[in-house]
Amino acid sequence: MSLNITVNGTSRTVNAEPLTPLLHVLREELDVLSPKAGCQNGGCGTCTVLVDGEPRRSCLIPISAVEGAEIRTVEGLAPPGQLSTLQEAWIHHYAAQCGFCTSGFLMAATAYLENGGSDDHAEIATALGGHVCRCTGYVKILDAISAAARGDSFDLTTTAAGLRTTIKGVDQ
Amino acid sequence: MGRPAPTQKRVESMSNGPEVLTPRSATEAIELFGDGGDTAIVGGGTILVPELRLGSARPARALMLHRAGLAGVSKDGGRLTIGAMTPLNALASLADPIAACVSHIADLEIRGQATLGGNLCARNTDAPRGDLQGVLIALGASVRSVGAGGERTEPTEEFLANRDDRLVLDVSFDLPSAGAYAYLDRAHTHEYTALAVSAVRTSDGTIRLGANGAGPHGLRLPSAEAAAANHAAAGAAALADVALFDDAIASAWYREKTLPVLVRRALDQLEDAA
Amino acid sequence: MKAVGARLPRYDANEHVSAGTRYVDDVRIPGTLWAKALRSPHDHAEIVSIDTSAAEAMEGVHAVVTYKDVHKNIHGHIEGLGVPGDEPLLAETHVRYKGQPVAAVAADNEELAVRATEAIKVTYKELPSLLDVRKAFDGDAPQVHHWGNWYPHFEGEMDRRQIRKGDIDKAFEDADVIVQGVYRPAAIEHIPMETQVCQVVPEAGGRFVVYSATQAMYFSMGVVAAHLNWPLNKLKFVGGTTGGGFGGKVDTATETITTLLAIKSHRPVRWRWTRMEEFLCSSTRAPWHMEIADAVTKDGWILGRKMLTLHDAGAFARFSPYGVTKHAFHHTGAYTIPNLEFNGFVVYTNRIPTTAMRGFGVTSVSFATETHIERIAQTLGMDPIELRMKNATRLGDTSPNGIPYVDPSTVPVIQAISNAAGFELPAHYRTMTSAMRSGEDLPAHLVAQMGNPEDH
Repeated sequence: MSLNITVNGTSRTVNAEPLTPLLHVLREELDVLSPKAGCQNGGCGTCTVLVDGEPRRSCLIPISAVEGAEIRTVEGLAPPGQLSTLQEAWIHHYAAQCGFCTSGFLMAATAYLENGGSDDHAEIATALGGHVCRCTGYVKILDAISAAARGDSFDLTTTAAGLRTTIKGVDQ
Repeated sequence: MGRPAPTQKRVESMSNGPEVLTPRSATEAIELFGDGGDTAIVGGGTILVPELRLGSARPARALMLHRAGLAGVSKDGGRLTIGAMTPLNALASLADPIAACVSHIADLEIRGQATLGGNLCARNTDAPRGDLQGVLIALGASVRSVGAGGERTEPTEEFLANRDDRLVLDVSFDLPSAGAYAYLDRAHTHEYTALAVSAVRTSDGTIRLGANGAGPHGLRLPSAEAAAANHAAAGAAALADVALFDDAIASAWYREKTLPVLVRRALDQLEDAA
Repeated sequence: MKAVGARLPRYDANEHVSAGTRYVDDVRIPGTLWAKALRSPHDHAEIVSIDTSAAEAMEGVHAVVTYKDVHKNIHGHIEGLGVPGDEPLLAETHVRYKGQPVAAVAADNEELAVRATEAIKVTYKELPSLLDVRKAFDGDAPQVHHWGNWYPHFEGEMDRRQIRKGDIDKAFEDADVIVQGVYRPAAIEHIPMETQVCQVVPEAGGRFVVYSATQAMYFSMGVVAAHLNWPLNKLKFVGGTTGGGFGGKVDTATETITTLLAIKSHRPVRWRWTRMEEFLCSSTRAPWHMEIADAVTKDGWILGRKMLTLHDAGAFARFSPYGVTKHAFHHTGAYTIPNLEFNGFVVYTNRIPTTAMRGFGVTSVSFATETHIERIAQTLGMDPIELRMKNATRLGDTSPNGIPYVDPSTVPVIQAISNAAGFELPAHYRTMTSAMRSGEDLPAHLVAQMGNPEDH
């Protein structure tokens, strides 16, 4: 079937069988690669995107059920070259290690913050309880979302270039 | 009132996949479902979409209900009717035990997509699924479904015992005067609840008990209900009402040890809630 | 020391949070086929026949491979370290664990690849399976391999990793108490968020580009080249971006089979395991069975240790002999025990082969030793932290394999933990250092084991 969805503000026409998971359409048809195929059973949260503002597991949603919907992914969180407060918080608090779970966490956390979520760790954990990260132990992720909820500002001027300078200093 | 013929039969087929039917109204859904038969009913899709994707389920037909209506909660006096396609999140603000149970199903994202009908019809695999079955039994809910032989409205426990090839339309129940939900906590949001007991005091003071994870589907606990005046005795009596089993998340032995405790806790909570 | 304790930005953080990181599954090559494996449904069986003709005849199926397509089907991961290969890339005569790959296909899409594996007809003759490591040595135990149920190729063709140190009989004669315990940590799946995955792309010049999630790039490249009998310059490995590994991505689980499919189909091929495959078929941390008997004095000295370790390797050796060797060298944990009798076996069972995971071989014995220390302390009615400090490794003490420690850290670590926990150590232990033993810290039974750190 042919249908339209809006992905990060752009209308896209998709040709897909109606039961095809949204995740498959995003990744394999539209090359929107931030949602990941972590388990494809709804059990990990790496594929979470926003469907009309609500966080949903894109691996569980048949494409025909989101006909006409507004889909948001990490690619649309900020204009190119810019970062949302949440993304900055993620960097500042080292909330990504291998990074494979990051996209799903960012989208679920974006919805949490847009719905007025607080910086309380227990509330965040309840809202994002279905997301799995095997690297961080979650503390840094909670710190990052908390910081974004408070509206902390971050000095990220220590960029990769800064890192190289620092490491060069170590070598000397 | 005559049932209008479907305006257009919407059929799509996957490569080697099921014939996909997408009705645009409840009447069209009923028409297309017919007598059922090798038809997967796709509600929210949280169970079926992964199964259909790589062939662990290969039905001849898939009936997708997302455009069929069938969603919503309506109240008529003291009686609630909930459409089969109502997402679980929409039940979170209802009375206990339904609200308490819903908050222990998966996580917020899944609950936004999973439906009452899908949960009611979910079958045990390596874990008890269908958390709301025991809840609806305790609430004395009746289930309205269609399929071979036409429309049926029956108590939840009767529906569960004979639910092959049925399309659920809605469930309805009288609001209880009090409700309680006692459960074995999950290690993780993706885990199923190994065992749970729902308790309800109806408006006429009757106590009803339902259990999940204690049999092939949700079960009523009549022996425990009869002994409900003594909470501990009711817990012991409940063992006569169940068919305990081993699965991936708990042993029959563990369920036997914990069921009486949960019955007692549910009745204690019910007393406190009243 | 400008880096330790400093706030250093992660070089990949910007990409991670802005969808910039390209994982293996994100590589997009037009015309890429999907791979799927046909896996053994049995724990243990003889393969009577394999018929791939129906799968090969399917429209949209571009390659089917079996053991016949592999130049060197049996290649050991650590043959270079003297551990002979025992595991076929694709099963030939037998399957020895449920989930073992028997054949693989490359097809136009994932669903079709699944159907193609279903079209392959394999006839099995089921055999009794060994699933409990404790039964491996019984006379009537099912045989996992024709040579037996445990690995026979430790140095000198010994059938075990063995340590003998000091005079174990005297230690047990001199003991006031013998404290025994059995420790059995279970298998653990690594569960990286990214499942096993690779993509292989044929280049016009005959070279194959392998996009790999491996944790061990050049190692995996060597394994693929060995199976194919190819020079390394026919392979180009692209890696370094891994969606979690934790030891579970050192086994070259996907690269060789996917390359075979790319060779046979002349097309790019992607193989991404499902989460179900990851749980049921990917290697795990090994389950271990450890029996410890310690000869102990009333005042808390551990004079000697007898230990038997059964390492459940699963169906094939992979890295297990290496893991058991590390395990043997660390089997006294962070403590000095001068008299030792250790026997460690790599035992085969009809379970998923096991592999590295975070402290491979050592975490198991640390768990056993630390739990056993608590048991000794309870038996003696002694404070477990004092017991640890007393027996802690010190400068010049020797490891189970006779190496003098040059930088032992047990003493300062326990002191730091005690401070952090608000536990007040007795004065003697508060001021103790890792310096070489003397005075009351050097009882007669520890003299003979002392070595010279300069000899390390």
